[in-house]
Amino acid sequence: MTTPDPTEARIAALEAKIARLEGAVAPRPAPDWKHGAERFGLVGAWVLMILILGAFRPDQMFAWNSYATMLGSNAMVVVLTLALIVPLTTGDFDLSVASVMGLSSMTLAVLNVQMGIPIVPAILVVLVVGAIVGAVNAFFILYFGVASLIVTLGTGYFINGVILWISNSGTIAGVSMDLVRAVILTRLFGIPIGFYYALILALVLWYVFQHTALGRRLLFVGRGREVARLSGVNVTRMRTGALIASSVIAAFAGVLYTGMRGAADPSSALAFLLPAFAAAFLGSTAIYPGRFNALGSVVAVYFLSTGIMGLNFLGVSSFVQNLFYGGGLVIAVAISQLIRGRRPMD
Amino acid sequence: MKYSAALAALLAASPALADLDAARALVEQYSALPTFEAPGAPFDARACMADKKMFVIPLTNANPFNAAISQGFVDAAEMVGFELRDWETQMDPAGWIQGINTAVAEGYDLIDLQGGLPPEFVQPQVMEAQAAGVKVTATHNWDATTQETPAFMDGAANTDYVTIGQIIAAWAMVQTDGQVNALVLGPDEITPTAPLRDAIIGYLEANCPDCQTRYINVPVNDWATQGQPAVQNALLQDPSINYVLPVYDSMSQFIVPAIQIAGSNAKIVSYNGTPFVLDMMRDGDIVEMNVGESLGWVGMAGTDANMRLLCGLEPVTKLNTPAFVFTDENVATAGTPATFNDGYGDVHVQGFRDLWQLD
Repeated sequence: MTTPDPTEARIAALEAKIARLEGAVAPRPAPDWKHGAERFGLVGAWVLMILILGAFRPDQMFAWNSYATMLGSNAMVVVLTLALIVPLTTGDFDLSVASVMGLSSMTLAVLNVQMGIPIVPAILVVLVVGAIVGAVNAFFILYFGVASLIVTLGTGYFINGVILWISNSGTIAGVSMDLVRAVILTRLFGIPIGFYYALILALVLWYVFQHTALGRRLLFVGRGREVARLSGVNVTRMRTGALIASSVIAAFAGVLYTGMRGAADPSSALAFLLPAFAAAFLGSTAIYPGRFNALGSVVAVYFLSTGIMGLNFLGVSSFVQNLFYGGGLVIAVAISQLIRGRRPMD
Repeated sequence: MKYSAALAALLAASPALADLDAARALVEQYSALPTFEAPGAPFDARACMADKKMFVIPLTNANPFNAAISQGFVDAAEMVGFELRDWETQMDPAGWIQGINTAVAEGYDLIDLQGGLPPEFVQPQVMEAQAAGVKVTATHNWDATTQETPAFMDGAANTDYVTIGQIIAAWAMVQTDGQVNALVLGPDEITPTAPLRDAIIGYLEANCPDCQTRYINVPVNDWATQGQPAVQNALLQDPSINYVLPVYDSMSQFIVPAIQIAGSNAKIVSYNGTPFVLDMMRDGDIVEMNVGESLGWVGMAGTDANMRLLCGLEPVTKLNTPAFVFTDENVATAGTPATFNDGYGDVHVQGFRDLWQLD
């Protein structure tokens, strides 16, 4: 028999109280069908989009190979999005994730190609590098009390300089084919195996957020730091852990990115920041509406990439993709605000 | 008379390249090691440059392509013995402007905007420098035949992008026996894209009745996020595509995974001779051919054109740097890892020494 954790009990009581208070000021609880529509609305929109695009390009839009290809090639975007949602859950923005992805990708190439270090130890080193970046972010955010947006904007820019420095501003090709095989050349049901790594990571995060005390504490910190602190939650430790986890996961995205190309370049990873943010916010409108959540993020990444794929098949100009991602981000944030009852964002 | 003039014009427009043999000949011509052809008459460069100095502003020093061209300028200045400053920039207009102002303030005689720095972005500063008596030129920015150097520039040493595009198209034509189905990619916002793109597509249209092409514009900033899916989806849509022809080879890093994931057998043929792409060619099977040019040679040729302008000699408007075909057979000569200058021979060094009467 285990003794109940008094902190856990306090958190549970406070959560119940917050829920009662939210219920008192919020409109009546939505009926089940409406709640279901909210949860699976994005999935429904995804299916609808496939059907509409399929009406114009049935040969491509209804072909399994198209989806197998898309699922595999967006694995690192899924992982980068998952990296974002961890600190977003605790109320911190990490704008350095794409830079960490680029740093990881380039460090891996430098270690493996230029220094001849075998790929597995090299991967472990880059994950440690990711953890160090996360710790640095946490130090400046928590010790000095600087807004996460500013700190991670600065560290991201700093990292971009480090990437140019260690790469001598060039692209490095020739990364071990073992990694390429382990990311895209090996397939399961026709889908490059990198997709399954992203899926497993999403399931792990889903379990942690939905079914563990740690996940509840992270969520609680994000909802109200002072209340969480007064309830005995170690807010600093939670936020530190979230920022380090974010950078380590972003470093893993960099490993997948390198494995996908067998090469690393100094700047292209930065372009994935906006798609990842768009997917994180769009994902917060699905499965568990109002929360940044792993499964919603996966659905959102593939919702957006299905749209891009369809636009490609239709031969639409590439600028439309910018409209799609940028518009998607703003609309997603607007929808999540509606779900939150239009309360001001932190 | 009228018909013979029309025929002559037609022949001039497509000079004996209307069949596979001609395509093969074009590829073979540029597969041979480059030879040095003097861009103009010899002159005493030391005497001409005795009291003059040159200022070079690259698009960005963070790009090894620009750094290699700058090194060519520096080497040439050392050979001749005049003062040359290579300005450090990071692709920022503020840095370019600061460079121009510094050159004017420190009394340089000529400013060269090299390797894609768009002079239009700094036109007011260019005109200000000219008012102060400084000549302003550009190296390796415009096409030598299809694009005009803007009137506000004092001169420019341009590249023969059309021939490069034709070599790429001819290669694909030869390899497929005239059955090319090519996906051509380029960032439209970059100055040389248009001549390269039009030369590739135009050559195939003019010389290969059974060949087909499709062009997709992917801006540089979107290569990572849009380049790969665009290629992937094009290959899914049309699995018979047998060549992907990005006008700049740096795109290859995003195209190789697209080809692999889509399960296509398409090959990549491109331009620039970028070292990591040559490494990809050496280590894999997807990058099949690359048209490169010695960037050290480009820097020296740019210096030559600038010296002629400063010394009042007949102007040179076309770089004499030849294109060179890299394949699996000769890619090892580019070095391991490859570099921007190896594999082309060094005939240009003695060529310029003789041209500048240094020995």
